[in-house]
Amino acid sequence: MILELKDIQLSFTNARKERFHLLSGVNLGVQEGEITALIGGNGAGKTTLFNIISGFQKDYTGQVLFKNTDLSKLAPFQISRCGIGRLFQGKQLMGSLTILENMLMASSDRTGEFPFSYLVYPRFLKAKESEKTELAVHILETLFGKGCKYVDMLHHPASELSYGEQRMIAIARLLMGENELLLLDEPTAGVNPVYNQTIARIISEMARDKNLTILMIEHNMHFVREVASKCAFLDEGKIAVYGETNAVIDNPAVRSSYLGL
Amino acid sequence: MEYILHIAFMLNIYIMLVLSTNVTVMANLLTLCQAAFYGIGAYIGTLFLMQFELPIIIIALCVMGLSGLCSIIITLASVKLKGDYFILATLGFQMVVYTILYNWIDVTNGPFGISGIPALKLLGIWELQGVYAYFAVSLIAVLLMVALFAGLKLSPYGRALRSLRSDEQSLQALGRDVSFLKGSAFFISAAFAGLAGMLYASYASYIDPTSFTLLESLFIVSALFIGGTGNIAGPILGALFVVILPEVLRFIGMPESIAAPLRQIIYGLALVLVMYFRPQGLGGKEIIK
Repeated sequence: MILELKDIQLSFTNARKERFHLLSGVNLGVQEGEITALIGGNGAGKTTLFNIISGFQKDYTGQVLFKNTDLSKLAPFQISRCGIGRLFQGKQLMGSLTILENMLMASSDRTGEFPFSYLVYPRFLKAKESEKTELAVHILETLFGKGCKYVDMLHHPASELSYGEQRMIAIARLLMGENELLLLDEPTAGVNPVYNQTIARIISEMARDKNLTILMIEHNMHFVREVASKCAFLDEGKIAVYGETNAVIDNPAVRSSYLGL
Repeated sequence: MEYILHIAFMLNIYIMLVLSTNVTVMANLLTLCQAAFYGIGAYIGTLFLMQFELPIIIIALCVMGLSGLCSIIITLASVKLKGDYFILATLGFQMVVYTILYNWIDVTNGPFGISGIPALKLLGIWELQGVYAYFAVSLIAVLLMVALFAGLKLSPYGRALRSLRSDEQSLQALGRDVSFLKGSAFFISAAFAGLAGMLYASYASYIDPTSFTLLESLFIVSALFIGGTGNIAGPILGALFVVILPEVLRFIGMPESIAAPLRQIIYGLALVLVMYFRPQGLGGKEIIK
């Protein structure tokens, strides 16, 4: 197991001082190299679970183990440096930065990100920047084809891209880091069907060619069937059903309580 | 000629202050305490000048280092406080520093100020004499700052600061330590504001706490908003506007009793008009959100 969630519990106290249990003992193991979909109704706690794994939500009980390392005491940036990349729900690229700068900010090589270090080793820094730029171009060409428009637009502000295109680049840039596990929160939400197909393809290629493990939250069941090999259904604060994707989606309990069928 | 050089010297001081504020704004931290660091630099510089006979470069580095260290208090606040709450914390810091400068009489001489501040000495030997020499030194300081900050903005560190302004949460998830980025931006900003304070103290040969009030901080931030952020030209334009405007009013022969309130009205009006018609500022590139 590359990622293990052991008895994760999280509760809140509401305005009337009533205790509300959002997660009441989540247990989940994610196998290396697999694509696992996490499904469940709105407010089931899926994004909160991602926040727990990536360190943005603390105050929970239980254990999050990534390659047998406990992540509970680590800050989000330290968890990222362990090799966990994240795509946030509904977020776009950093709009005031260029497409290239967005890619470079995802690099695990942080050379030159110390104040005035450009004065100390300018040549080395220039070489490093060139290396990272080459990698960014290579990633974009591998995922979107040689001569793709994103390579031509490298120095354009990311805000010039459509929402769907920004989601695709946001997924692609996760390859800039030395990530082993990707947490993708609704990668296709608000994206048109054509880009959905592209996202399905690049996620599958990333998992297969880079041996990446992917855990994704998704409401599009066609997409889940196409991409994920395993599926976990989060309901009432627990993983209610887990198994092969088709079996989980076709499970009568999932169909009635989540899909309304 | 000396009058023009005096204005030019003060312009250089304000360019330094506005440029240094621009670094924190690049890191998505709007502050109302730049005058506090300006004052800290002025008083620390004064203490060094009065106690030790050291070359200008040594004193400058000490003042910058100590002013930068004082910024750690604000950095700690920035970890916990976001947005409006953080701005209020910087306001609090400004008030605390002013109160200390005003009441710690043994060190600062309180409201009476400190007079007879010695001139800076180049290489510890040649004393800077007159407005010509101070203008030249301040111009060198501004040119150095412009070169350093232009390089900083284009460097990977500058890129990280600009990312911080765009999306702090995503930046953390991409493995960047935002506390370090904010802290270092504050350190740099406070250090250069402190340097401006030291130059001013030595030039004026007298300082008191009224030069480092909240009004001064607001003045600096207004200059940045009017000029614009995200590049070097914006802060320079903003400083030009706020320093030259009073002189223009004086030049057209307006009596001081009318010019002073008119100046405030023009600053306020300029701020509103710029924010409405050109939210990125006269020469800026990015809109402050």
